Amino acid sequence: MRIVIIGNGVAGIEAALAVRAMDRQSSITIVSEESDYFFSRTALMYVLSGQLQRRELEPLPRDLYTRLALSRSRARVVGIDLAEKSVRVADGIAPIPYDRLLIACGSRPRRPPWSGATLGGIGHFVTLADLDWLEGEVGSRGAAKRPRRVEHPWVIGGGLIGIEVVETLLALGYRPRFALRDEWFWPISIDAREAGWIEARLRSHGVELRAGASVEGFEGEGRVSRIRVSGRTEPCDLAVVAIGVEPNTAWLEGSGIALEDGAIAVDEGLMTSAPDVFAAGDCAGIVGPGGRRRPQQLWYTARDQGRVAGARLLGEPARYVPGLPYNSAKLMDIEFTTVGHVPPRGAGHSWTFEERGPVQSMLRLVVEGERVVGMNALGRRWDHSVFRRFIEEGLSLAQVIARLSEAAFDTELVPPLVIPAADRARGAEVS
Amino acid sequence: MQLQAQEGLLFTYRSGLSSRGLLAWVVALGLTAFYLALYFTEIFTPLALALGLPSKWTLYGALYTLVMIGGGARYLSKHGSSRYNRVRIGVNVAVQAVLAFSLPFAQSKLGAHEFYFSYLWPLKIEYLYPATFVELPIYLGIYSVVASFVAVPILTLRYGKRWYCSWVCGCGALANTFGDPWRHLSSKSERAWTVEKITVHSTLALALITTVIVAANWAFGATHPDFAAFGFEVQRFYGFFVGAILSGIVGVAVYPILGPRVWCRYFCPMAALLGLLQKLGRFRVAVKPDMCIACGNCSTYCEMGIDVRAYAMRNQSFTRASCVGCGMCSHVCPRGVLRLDTKGAAHARLPVLPSR
Repeated sequence: MRIVIIGNGVAGIEAALAVRAMDRQSSITIVSEESDYFFSRTALMYVLSGQLQRRELEPLPRDLYTRLALSRSRARVVGIDLAEKSVRVADGIAPIPYDRLLIACGSRPRRPPWSGATLGGIGHFVTLADLDWLEGEVGSRGAAKRPRRVEHPWVIGGGLIGIEVVETLLALGYRPRFALRDEWFWPISIDAREAGWIEARLRSHGVELRAGASVEGFEGEGRVSRIRVSGRTEPCDLAVVAIGVEPNTAWLEGSGIALEDGAIAVDEGLMTSAPDVFAAGDCAGIVGPGGRRRPQQLWYTARDQGRVAGARLLGEPARYVPGLPYNSAKLMDIEFTTVGHVPPRGAGHSWTFEERGPVQSMLRLVVEGERVVGMNALGRRWDHSVFRRFIEEGLSLAQVIARLSEAAFDTELVPPLVIPAADRARGAEVS
Repeated sequence: MQLQAQEGLLFTYRSGLSSRGLLAWVVALGLTAFYLALYFTEIFTPLALALGLPSKWTLYGALYTLVMIGGGARYLSKHGSSRYNRVRIGVNVAVQAVLAFSLPFAQSKLGAHEFYFSYLWPLKIEYLYPATFVELPIYLGIYSVVASFVAVPILTLRYGKRWYCSWVCGCGALANTFGDPWRHLSSKSERAWTVEKITVHSTLALALITTVIVAANWAFGATHPDFAAFGFEVQRFYGFFVGAILSGIVGVAVYPILGPRVWCRYFCPMAALLGLLQKLGRFRVAVKPDMCIACGNCSTYCEMGIDVRAYAMRNQSFTRASCVGCGMCSHVCPRGVLRLDTKGAAHARLPVLPSR
């Protein structure tokens, strides 16, 4: 059987590994425009900052592709011929025939809707090409070539990529301005108090935060030199736009494969509307609560979907059943863990605890009725899988507070979190 | 300073000195020249005597301690956000300054027996050579035997080899302070792992054999002159090859090229012995399930060349014989996936790739 996988990201490579774990016979071809080798996209910032080198982003030994007979085609896919069962690629390369196809082509950055957005000095930070571009703009520690002199860098977009670029620019000696559309940083995931802590860290390092900023356009001749934001014109000679990502599916328009809100519509078995064609990762729209399909754009979900897709490519009856959501991040020097259902903007009922003293941390447990349904934690390390179990078992707030130590994952020698009796009592009242 | 459990902000090890640039080679050659001069000439002796020190070795000990203090301060300026790091480096420096330098120095000044409490057989192989052993005051003899054959197994089974390699041992302490800027240079290849297993266990075997031969020589040498000559040669060879060449010149001079733990990883007989015990004990690197983003910071900054990420990506807590428990993989993980603990060795097989 001929298996073709479009995309060499985490969903694609996990699918290929899952296939090879079960089957040595089928041919596997991985088509990627971006990279010959699988790399950790979530770690691009470490290369820019000089903490890692490019090669260190590659989790697998390079000869693995040969050892597992995974052939690669470095090419841009431009379409699919469902009748012929082949993948069309750009630059005059012959179409690649498939018996089973997996589309794992990921996301692309959301394009800025503002005037002047095509000027030089404006870009994203999502792909290896973006890394090359930004390295050319600001240099990276240890890089041989000296970059141009950037004086007024802006980062636009109050999410994870935005804050990562800000932290990296700080590490490289710049003082970026950070424009947030909303009134606080990352409101989809954290509440105002949690964001306040992160924003204080940003300010203390010299970042100029512009909350509630409305970007109106860029100006310059060939290259950006000014930004219009909230009615004012300010100097700007570099802008990294990180206002979200969207499924990378424009090339599928008219192919006959059903899209929903731009994502490839798939069923529980990750099968698309076309026979023998599957989709996984950021480009796939997964049926969620309420029956609406949405892409799940996390490293973890792409990894899990890739494994399911691998089994499906071999005709195994696998289903992608997302468990309770969870995620992690590092916001400046503060680690973040979230599990379960935490409504955006701090909505809903929660019990919160702020730890001051030698260890600083924040913990928020979201409660619905008697039960804990979600948690947000900053500053300490927690084992999300234990919290998941708490939530799945339907523990009450008082029960979760009493059993917090089971989920602790702090480094040795760090004093454990102690919740004072008064705060425990608050928990008992809410329950 | 915050008593945080976490990594802190971005850092870099990418200066020319840290990435095998010209300066790195200059330092490596300088260190080689220094060790050759120290071991095989007496050019440092007049300086030592002029400073009122009893020998060039005391001068070397003073330098070693100073370099460790400076390197420790530098390390903590980068990674001192973690309490584990602060306590560990503090203990390292204290052990060096007190047990490995001041005490033996004071003993020699007072005409007492010079003794290094922080070095044990088989690293300090002569402490169990009968000729040395019988010269020791009785309490030091008891200390040597109890430390090597009672304390070492108990502590290692309980806490892992790190109690020695990353908290007490002077070689490890130098690597984690002065040598820290080069920790990412350790080879992560599977081939290096294969080589390491062969070489480190060979040195352990050599240390055991040498100890036995030297002991036999002590017992029977007087009546078997041919054997005595052979035994003396073996002892001399071990002292020269392992003591001077491997632990001194190779051990430190190659820091800027091959990373700071070359001696510990490939040659130290003590590390080999502790590694075997570690596999039987309770120490492990625990992996939080399903949280790894495969960024590679853990593997890159593992000074022992362990591909930590390969385990983390596959949710496998693990116990590797070579792991010295420095804690850097856990420290640099941006998602808090890794934790050193003592809940029982985890005998994961590496990476679980379909081809194996």
